[in-house]
Amino acid sequence: MSTSGTSLKTYALTRLALVVPMVLILLTLVFLLMRVAPGDPISAALGGRVPVSVINQIKHQVGFDRPLYVQYGDYLWGILHGDLGTTITDRRPVSSIIVENGGATLELTIAAGIIAITIGVVVGLLAGRYRDTWIDVGGRMFGIVAYAMPVFFLGFLAQLFFGVYLGWLPTSGEASPITQAFLPVHTHILIIDAIWARNWAALWDIIRHLILPAVTLGIVIGGIFIRLVRVNVIRSLKDDYVEAARARGISERSVVYHHAFRNALVPVVTVVGLQMALLLGGAILTEETFNWPGIGQTLIKYLENRDYVGVQGIIVVFALIVVFVSLAIDFVNAFIDPRIRY
Amino acid sequence: MAVVGAAAQGSRRSFLSRLGKLWAPIAETQGLARVMLATGAAITFVFVVLALFARWIAPYGFSQYEVDGRRFPQLAPPSSAHLMGTTVESDDVFSRIVWGAQTELKVVLLALVVSLVLGVPLGLLSGYFGGPLDRGLVLVMDALFAFPPLLLAIVIAFLLSSTVGSGVVTAAIAITVVYVPQYFRVVRNHVISLREETYVEAARALGAKPFTIIRKYVFFNVVQNVPVIGTLNAADAILTLAALGFLGYGVQPTEASEWGYDVQRALSDATTGIWWTGLFPGLAIVILVTGITLLGEGLNETINPVLRKRRFVKVVFPERGKVPAE
Amino acid sequence: MQGKLRFLLVPAGLAVAALVAVTAATARTSASSSIIIDGTTDTVTNIDPAGNYDFGTKAVDFMIFERLLDSGPGKLAPHPSLATGCAAVGGLKTWSCTLRKGVKFSNGDPFTSADVKWSFDRSVKIADPSGISSLFTNLKSVTTDGDYGVTFHLKHAEATWPNILTTPAAQIVDHNVYPADKLLPSTSPQVGTGPYMLSTYTAGQQAVLKPNPNYWGPKPANGGVIITYYTKSSTMKLALEKGEIDMAFETFTPTELVSLQKESGITVHQGRAASIRYFVMDTNRPPTNNIAVRKAIAYLMPRQTIAARVYHDQVRPLYSMVADGLPGHIDAFASIYGRVPSKAKAAAVLKAAGVTTPVNLQVWYTPSHYGDASADEYVEIQRALNSSGLFKVSLKTAEWAQYVKTLGSTKGLFQLGWFPDYVDAENYLFPFYPKGQFLQNGYSNPKMNALAVKEQGAKTTAARLAIVKQMQVLAAQDVPIIPYWQGSMIAVSRNNVQGIDKTLDPTFTMRFNLLSKS
Repeated sequence: MSTSGTSLKTYALTRLALVVPMVLILLTLVFLLMRVAPGDPISAALGGRVPVSVINQIKHQVGFDRPLYVQYGDYLWGILHGDLGTTITDRRPVSSIIVENGGATLELTIAAGIIAITIGVVVGLLAGRYRDTWIDVGGRMFGIVAYAMPVFFLGFLAQLFFGVYLGWLPTSGEASPITQAFLPVHTHILIIDAIWARNWAALWDIIRHLILPAVTLGIVIGGIFIRLVRVNVIRSLKDDYVEAARARGISERSVVYHHAFRNALVPVVTVVGLQMALLLGGAILTEETFNWPGIGQTLIKYLENRDYVGVQGIIVVFALIVVFVSLAIDFVNAFIDPRIRY
Repeated sequence: MAVVGAAAQGSRRSFLSRLGKLWAPIAETQGLARVMLATGAAITFVFVVLALFARWIAPYGFSQYEVDGRRFPQLAPPSSAHLMGTTVESDDVFSRIVWGAQTELKVVLLALVVSLVLGVPLGLLSGYFGGPLDRGLVLVMDALFAFPPLLLAIVIAFLLSSTVGSGVVTAAIAITVVYVPQYFRVVRNHVISLREETYVEAARALGAKPFTIIRKYVFFNVVQNVPVIGTLNAADAILTLAALGFLGYGVQPTEASEWGYDVQRALSDATTGIWWTGLFPGLAIVILVTGITLLGEGLNETINPVLRKRRFVKVVFPERGKVPAE
Repeated sequence: MQGKLRFLLVPAGLAVAALVAVTAATARTSASSSIIIDGTTDTVTNIDPAGNYDFGTKAVDFMIFERLLDSGPGKLAPHPSLATGCAAVGGLKTWSCTLRKGVKFSNGDPFTSADVKWSFDRSVKIADPSGISSLFTNLKSVTTDGDYGVTFHLKHAEATWPNILTTPAAQIVDHNVYPADKLLPSTSPQVGTGPYMLSTYTAGQQAVLKPNPNYWGPKPANGGVIITYYTKSSTMKLALEKGEIDMAFETFTPTELVSLQKESGITVHQGRAASIRYFVMDTNRPPTNNIAVRKAIAYLMPRQTIAARVYHDQVRPLYSMVADGLPGHIDAFASIYGRVPSKAKAAAVLKAAGVTTPVNLQVWYTPSHYGDASADEYVEIQRALNSSGLFKVSLKTAEWAQYVKTLGSTKGLFQLGWFPDYVDAENYLFPFYPKGQFLQNGYSNPKMNALAVKEQGAKTTAARLAIVKQMQVLAAQDVPIIPYWQGSMIAVSRNNVQGIDKTLDPTFTMRFNLLSKS
């Protein structure tokens, strides 16, 4: 990378332009992966019940046996029009899957993200500030063990302990069946819908259901943040300007909080964005464990049924989210730091 | 500066002794970093031993359900006969843990070696030469990197599980695809910043061929990053393998013992009060991953110049008026 | 000092608010006491009857749609529902039904013969991959005979056509609402004549049923049903234990069921089901092309071990492809191969045929489609075959979607399960043995084909059942398939739910309208 900065506009345009081929590669990759896979949704639905001739006839009717490039063309054409396809096994347009189940995943990832950042920043700051003391050791060990726990294992232990043994919290679902049956749905993000309907009992029920999954995922991801924040704090505490501030007689407390921490947090923004991929992956496992009706759980179901339209659609959306989030973060960084523009 | 000095004498020092130079920072560790390194290494070592000597350490085979014609009890709690109890298929849990270590090691080693062999050279070449090759590779790698890694692993494992018979190889390939971009990125970025260093420029001015420069100056610098990333990736690889096993896409139970799969089978046991089938494999995952991570963190503390703490040799001033003996 | 106190106020206030809300929330849930909350791990495909043929969707559809004839509860022979009677008219190729008068759909539309014709025609036309319109391959056309008469014209004689009229494929929809050539989306309002209406449906989460005010039959015994969908049975078990759901139908693991049986607030209801598990062998490729090998495996099949150890007696050993309890069933395999495994007889038949042992076998199963216990089941089969010294079995697995794609064309020995389209012995024989069987295992016996044709044209039930018995004997002699267990219909509920035992029968239908909660 050159050391002379170019204008922000050029950087923005270049970066945007690069997104297009990247998204194209992703789409093609997903398409190929699903079509090349042995097994198809029609055999999965009807196999073991009817003769092959019937299955082939239905495949022909559905257009499943058209040449691959024709299907690929259809696929890209559809995406350009915002049509991500309609699943084969249960006829849901992918866009409505994203809207209906996306709300649940959004709720979970935002809540978990907030918890993870809080844990990461607080423990990381303390660990970095009090390096090599027991606070540091404790914080780092917590971070390491937290990340080492498979999220499904931690989740299940949480269900058993808080749900069954103590009986404090519900063990699965986004809300209790009765609440969910009678809450009018507008945004599919249940917390917002409950506030919209001014139904405070429902809101509390929804929050109670959110606690275990969000905390489980938050702790596991928070474990990574602890280490990253800590390293950045240590690095910034060594910086010259911090020395200078100390030399000027500013109190250690002020030095730490006002100078070092603030600067340590800047690269954390980048890191948080990059961990989005990890958060989405962890969300899949968390949703499986807690019967959380999000996109991750839906994806697993379509994978099992070889519903390639459903799988494609969801994977593409996941990847696009990550691409655009990292794009946004790159912009923010480029805005702040002219050195990293092209 | 020490590196420059070494580079200047490059042609005269042997490969091995230069590798030995890499070891120097580790020897200089102190305090917490050393403790972490030691603990991590110890834990990892224990599991490696379990894996290598599984046949002699495990009391039974991983799917052995009887001995001398007598069946093991089903879902029996831990006892002197079965240290960690038995599973729903009457297999000994302790044996499955030990054999599981072998499975984990196989998959992780395979995945890491292939990722390194692919990712590091690609990163070196791409970073050093730049140009259209670099841009193309970066595009592909970034695209792969954009995927949530677990998602990519699931899709690949799912697809390969039919064509590739072995679940171990399938899981390894899935993990490799996820980690090659990581090595590539890190190596490439490091090479790019090294490319601008004065001594490299000097070597180029002297007429050294690109491969010579890479071999003598760039490689060893860059390779210092690898162990840290390697251990962190090993930890991730185990978690990914366990996640695949949990979802049912990894190693099949008939083929080998795998901890994630055991946890998934044990979930329904746990609600019935049977804790040993799930707790032990789960703990095994946690402990092994913690050990490898500690190893990585310890290495990071020693090698990463930002965090490295040099051992300070206390300067002793001679008493005034006396001349120190030569 | 002041600052610190201020900080304490906020969390204290929150705690108080939380307490208030908790009590409010718990008070609310006790008000909805007549609604039954059911949990299930089954999934729903399309609610439109032309687009589904799976248990999960059947559970919802059977409560909102109806059929001309019904099977069960209790008596299995087809009896009147939307039709007051159906009879063959001159030969078994034409069937005429008289429809019930005064029935209204849930939206007020009257039910007439036009709706019947519409429903069958669209099912055949749409031929959705997830549906089972293939049950109607024998249907030539449907004609209406005034508003309350309908006639089915078949291509060839079929004595069991009334049974076909009880299947989910034959559900009746409102011709004003359902398109003729495509499925109605599951999120659109569904209109049927059944005891319930679909109030809301959230894919993958819940289906809410409320009583249909226009229903012609007796009112449901409860105020509504909420079906909640789970992906893992362990999560569902926790929910049932905590009282978050009142009952669960489909599917717990055997170990979970054993544990639930021991719990004091919960009852496990078990009734005989009509689902079976069987073992298919390829008759064209070695080593199973040699009938001696197949007979030896039949002698060694460890039915008791599987039923007792793997399934804790929640399934029963099965000795014929026709489920036990159905008219015409005989224990054909027990008569020929005995009830318990016999190493001696297996060794003898292999020796007599001059087969060198041990014979290498590659056995396939699918790890999750039929439940996780499949792995344990096949481990037991492997153990039984290996320990006889006559076979060396290696197990292979494939996920359902690709497992089912190739069946016998690539697999030599493999697992399959079957639940009937309709509860009659015929439906347990025709898909597997005569011409047109779907297993692709190369089995074809002209004698079997001839018996099949005779069965479909049999004039009396007694004659038909006699042929059914002959087919079972021939099936056991040729042994291309070994049936090994028959399942139960199991529902688990908290103790305050009544009526489940009334609806447990081989039709595998959970008739929610018969259930009540105290």
